[in-house]
Amino acid sequence: MKWRVIGLKEHDAYFNMAADEVISNKIAENQALPTIRFYTWKPGAVSIGHFQSMLDEVDVEKCKELGIDYVRRKTGGGAVYHDENGELAYSVIAPEELFTKNIIESYEVICGWIVNAFSTLGIDAQFAPINDIEAGGKKISGNAQSRSRGILLQHGTILYDLNLERMFSVLKVSSEKISDKMIKSAKERVTCVLEHANITREQLYKGLLKSFTEGKDCKFEELSPEEVRMIGDLAQNEYKADKWNFMR
Amino acid sequence: MMTQLKEGEAQQKVQGGKLLFVKLRYDDKISELRILGDFFIYPENALPKIEGALIGMRVDENVHTFLKKICDVARRNGIELIGITPDAIAQTIKMAIK
Repeated sequence: MKWRVIGLKEHDAYFNMAADEVISNKIAENQALPTIRFYTWKPGAVSIGHFQSMLDEVDVEKCKELGIDYVRRKTGGGAVYHDENGELAYSVIAPEELFTKNIIESYEVICGWIVNAFSTLGIDAQFAPINDIEAGGKKISGNAQSRSRGILLQHGTILYDLNLERMFSVLKVSSEKISDKMIKSAKERVTCVLEHANITREQLYKGLLKSFTEGKDCKFEELSPEEVRMIGDLAQNEYKADKWNFMR
Repeated sequence: MMTQLKEGEAQQKVQGGKLLFVKLRYDDKISELRILGDFFIYPENALPKIEGALIGMRVDENVHTFLKKICDVARRNGIELIGITPDAIAQTIKMAIK
């Protein structure tokens, strides 16, 4: 099976979400190869899980004040703050039959590619079901998977650096205002690559790229002009729309 | 004369799973219901089917009746829940009804 690999790119939240959907549809229609892509979020953004309430999870006014985007994902899972400089994200989009039918096992397969990359970078990490990866008992990567029209989409985030103050200024972890106690508590639960290895984000990306593509017949290419146009339309008409983002 | 609907909400962290919130409005029956949280449901567009099936149920039904309804909808629609269970949804609904 040949795979398409789209190298590290910087996009806004709406483009990133629309890209996964457009690529999924193209693969479902046999118009695109199974695809692996890497990306960052610019500007920084908060994404919430499909079944969460935007207003319960996100301080929308604070996001507007700080120029941080907010978007609802098609996948389940929790609210995530995607820092412009502190994160690296990936998507794996492929026909379901390339993976095990068991959802948790398929999480483990793809998360295993991240664990393997970490290992080559000197970071000891483990898959932590349902959908996390932990290093030293703390979360270092969160992942979410959807299956639709026979296509598996798994996207996830790898924490490279932490900006907890900014993270908790936009995420409503509790109704209380941000407090030192809460940040301390988060520090006990969350970690990042820089706490385990003195590497650049580029080195992290190279490690992930090598691990994700290992043993696969890969073709490195960009999104087609048609895909870019479709992604732009979908981003504008759906992922930026209040109807989608505030539907729960 | 229209009676004022009551509002209720409850949440729980499912053991070994995810956060589950239920928000509802009701009188003697459930008239609005939202199931929220950081769980996973496959297919993703199936959650409104579960919510829709629970609307109109009497609030004094016991937890087993809610559970049976959720299980029936899940089975009929091939719904897979990850991080929450039908039992947890049923319990949280009962918790939300004051």
